[in-house]
Amino acid sequence: MGYELLQILTVTIAVGSLYALVALGYTLVYGVLKFINFAHSDVFVLGAWTSFTTAVFLIATQGIDSANPPWWLGVLVFLSALVVCGGVGYCIERFAYRPLRKAPRLNVLITAIGVSLLLQNVGQITGPTIARSEQGSPLATLPFGATPKRMPTLLPEVVLNESTLAKGQAQGGAARGVVVLDQQITLEEGRQYRLAITRMQAGSDGALRTIRESLSLAVESGTYAAGTELRTTPRRTPEELSGATYELRRGPRVPINLIDVIIVVVSLSLMVGLQVLIYRTKMGSAMRALSHNVETASLMGINTNRVISFTFVLGSVLAASAAFLYPMKYPGLNQTAHGIWVLLGLKAFVAAVVGGIGNVRGAVLGGFLIAAIEFFGAWAYAPLRDVYVFAVLILVLLYRPNGLLGKAVMEKV
Amino acid sequence: MKTLAQHTKDVPASRAFRPAVVFLPWVACVAVAFAVQLVAPALFDDYWVNVLRRVGVFVIAAVSLNIVNGITGQFSMGHAGFMAIGSYIGASTTYTGSLLLHGSVGDDSFAVQGTMLMLGGLVAGACAAAGAGYLVGLPSLRLRGDYLAIVTLGFGEIIRVLLELTSKQVDTADGARANPFAAFFSFNGPTGFFGTPAYASNFWIWLFVAITCVVAYRLKRSSSGRAFLSIREDEIAARAMGIDLTKYKVRAFVLAAAFGGVAGALFSHTGVNPSPTDAGFQRSFDIIIMVVLGGLGSISGSVLAAILLVLLPEMLRGLQEYRLVLYAVLLIVMMLVRPQGLFGVKEVWDLWGAKRKARGGTP
Amino acid sequence: MSTAPATLLEASDIGITFGGLKAVQGLSLRVPTGALHGLIGPNGAGKTTAFNLLTGVYQTQTGSVTLAGTTLSGKRPHEIALAGLSRTFQNIRLFGELSVLDNVMLGSHLRGTHRLIRTVFRTPAFVRQEEAMRERALELLGIFGLQGLAAEQAKSLPYGDQRRLEICRALATEPKVLLLDEPAAGMNPSEKKSLASTIRSIRERFGVAILLIEHDMGLVMDICEHITVLDHGQVISAGTPRFVQDDPKVIEAYLGVVEEEGTGNGERGTGKASLGKASAG
Repeated sequence: MGYELLQILTVTIAVGSLYALVALGYTLVYGVLKFINFAHSDVFVLGAWTSFTTAVFLIATQGIDSANPPWWLGVLVFLSALVVCGGVGYCIERFAYRPLRKAPRLNVLITAIGVSLLLQNVGQITGPTIARSEQGSPLATLPFGATPKRMPTLLPEVVLNESTLAKGQAQGGAARGVVVLDQQITLEEGRQYRLAITRMQAGSDGALRTIRESLSLAVESGTYAAGTELRTTPRRTPEELSGATYELRRGPRVPINLIDVIIVVVSLSLMVGLQVLIYRTKMGSAMRALSHNVETASLMGINTNRVISFTFVLGSVLAASAAFLYPMKYPGLNQTAHGIWVLLGLKAFVAAVVGGIGNVRGAVLGGFLIAAIEFFGAWAYAPLRDVYVFAVLILVLLYRPNGLLGKAVMEKV
Repeated sequence: MKTLAQHTKDVPASRAFRPAVVFLPWVACVAVAFAVQLVAPALFDDYWVNVLRRVGVFVIAAVSLNIVNGITGQFSMGHAGFMAIGSYIGASTTYTGSLLLHGSVGDDSFAVQGTMLMLGGLVAGACAAAGAGYLVGLPSLRLRGDYLAIVTLGFGEIIRVLLELTSKQVDTADGARANPFAAFFSFNGPTGFFGTPAYASNFWIWLFVAITCVVAYRLKRSSSGRAFLSIREDEIAARAMGIDLTKYKVRAFVLAAAFGGVAGALFSHTGVNPSPTDAGFQRSFDIIIMVVLGGLGSISGSVLAAILLVLLPEMLRGLQEYRLVLYAVLLIVMMLVRPQGLFGVKEVWDLWGAKRKARGGTP
Repeated sequence: MSTAPATLLEASDIGITFGGLKAVQGLSLRVPTGALHGLIGPNGAGKTTAFNLLTGVYQTQTGSVTLAGTTLSGKRPHEIALAGLSRTFQNIRLFGELSVLDNVMLGSHLRGTHRLIRTVFRTPAFVRQEEAMRERALELLGIFGLQGLAAEQAKSLPYGDQRRLEICRALATEPKVLLLDEPAAGMNPSEKKSLASTIRSIRERFGVAILLIEHDMGLVMDICEHITVLDHGQVISAGTPRFVQDDPKVIEAYLGVVEEEGTGNGERGTGKASLGKASAG
């Protein structure tokens, strides 16, 4: 159980930092405009789908081997998400919110809901195909269409703290789907094992190519002598396995995935960057001035429209970063209006509120806190996973409406 | 100057009771119900008669949401949650009730009793939804606009999750008799609740449409309605005028939820199987759009908008994919161009009534 | 006012702190029945905060408020209104979308009973009350010369009418004490003159005590019998207009502000000047 909890902790840290990135967008906009940008989570979804579409497009048109993607693919995909989300964030503010700067709150709220609905549903329209498979079936359309898709791998799945127990020659057994190893192996109870197989295979043009793949062992724990036939999934034929080498890899009790490390590193550096931007730059002090008092700020010669636009773009770019990282961890992409996205956005929003909306550090704290509540709660009783988060939201709003780090604001009469 | 209490005592009896004003609207309700029931089949084919039932349900939903979102100005985004509660409780009352009393569901010989069960289900659904409305209304006292919107959105989602957790529907009389209570609340999880007979004819639906409109309109044009409106206009001034925000906000939520529950209960008796996704925000958004389009605070505006927005997609079948895009654009453009909605807080007839003399009392 | 009438509204030692700033501190007030009491002080002295404390918009952190013997502190704003304390706002807070008549009818809301069943079925009790509210509202509007505007939207009224409508609405609550927050703000001299007579006649006609925040010193000195002066959240002087006018502390407070604005060095002037002039305009 201890290991299980540690595993949940690693997920919490990874997903928590993504929540924090999205929550920062809510908080930044709230800071300067004092309203909740309902469409923010949809900007995040847009980022995820932009990442998908760019990746698929580049893979299909640039002849990239999708099994071994080059490093620059990830970079281009990331940039595309940043540009699209930043641009859309700018447009939302410029054309939907700016005309309502002096309107009653309710109107702004309704507009925000409208923008959110618009992004969701435009995304679901099936547009012209921009990438096809070799067989000619459409892989990606723009807009994205209403069917779920799977994000191509941009990064090989690597568990950083996996250990190699044995190496050697493998061969196929008598039947399809079994592997015979050249030495005795012992599999302990409660551990994950896999065989990393390296083998040669002829392509359609006849040339031999090296294939690296991972087979999991479909056998119980115990000691197996050299020459025992071990069942695997996926199943490989004896021909495929001839001349193959293997590495028996033992999964750690608490796996640390490369992607999780990348998520945490990228998120933390963005957060540090944001902190520097807010407290060390001219634009940052303009943002802080605006969040204190818009009228005074504009009297002091701050171009409020520019600062507000900048804030929107900044928030959108942070959401785009999260949106680029998220499908690398969870590659299943649901259509843009799917409820799962709304829930995701809501969790990030709750994170912002719990931390104290308008407070940058609060958003980060809230992100981790909400992820912890969600994942540890799910561990306790999975079906109520989403209910926990809302229960926390309601409790916080009732008993500490300004969040954990927020300051109390008195309404002026 | 006389106090209000003295003034009230001095109002002559002749002015205190005018039978026509008091009773005619109820008569009109029944008349409307009969009219729709009898005239619709003569004019349209079965498909459109059925669409008309859907229209009615959404009119009730929109008018009830208008009580809280429009008149009281508390932006709730969880109305579908209340509807779903009404839907399930109503459907289960008829379904489980039929099993217990008759042994099977939907028999022609049981239709009259079945309809009675449905009416009981409407009341039960309305009460359950009202209870939920009370629970949601309470935090609304301490939450400002956008927070309230999020909390109510979360409420709808919680209802959805809870409905998904319910156990498998009990579909035999023996099963129901073994444990009626458990059977009643076995809502069949994510797949939705099946087999409720379509007892809600246009008569019943439009009867409740008319009743909802009369109640909502009478509320709006009354001291309570003014209190609701004052909260929407300025909470601080309302408090200073002695209006108990707690009481009126909760009242608005409970009333809206109750009628939302009625809408839901009727809906589940039109041959539509209630499912947990009905509680989600998509449905709530649909109703919000109706209220905003018609005008926040305008009862007749909500009625017209609901009719329009249910019929429109039916007429533009080929454009299903673009329906919600269109709604979204409508919502944004509305806020930019005419933020108060088509009719604002006014009623349709106020527009050609010119400027009548001071009114604001009873109609 | 030779005999001392019974105290109606009494605040003793009330205070509130916002994030370290003592907005109001140790404020004590006694408003007798039928009094016309002024509350003055430089900008930011805490006058409106004092009103907010009295009416329950903010909760008092120290001290207590009583109205005709009932304790008000700790009660919620609507309960305080029901107890007989009604107010207007510095930055007019009417129900803008509603009609002028509806605004005043809302004022009398708290004196009625509002059952949903009665409302829905339009029972005689409901209709009676509704008619009474309307008649009363029209009568009040008549007193303020607004009856012709009853059907207009409140927000469409000219500024002066909105001020009067707010007073009208506050009176509809049948208050014992009326709190007016800068009723003359934005009015021209002739409007101010008519406002002064209106305030006096309100007291006669409705038998209410009036507590008045006003910047126009001429108006305050003219109509109030008793004045309390606040500066930096504290009472610096209290007494008759003549006494307050000559109180060096008051002059210092006002002139200090003038100097601050002029030179920005924050030092307070000590020169003696007529208060009426110091704050004119």
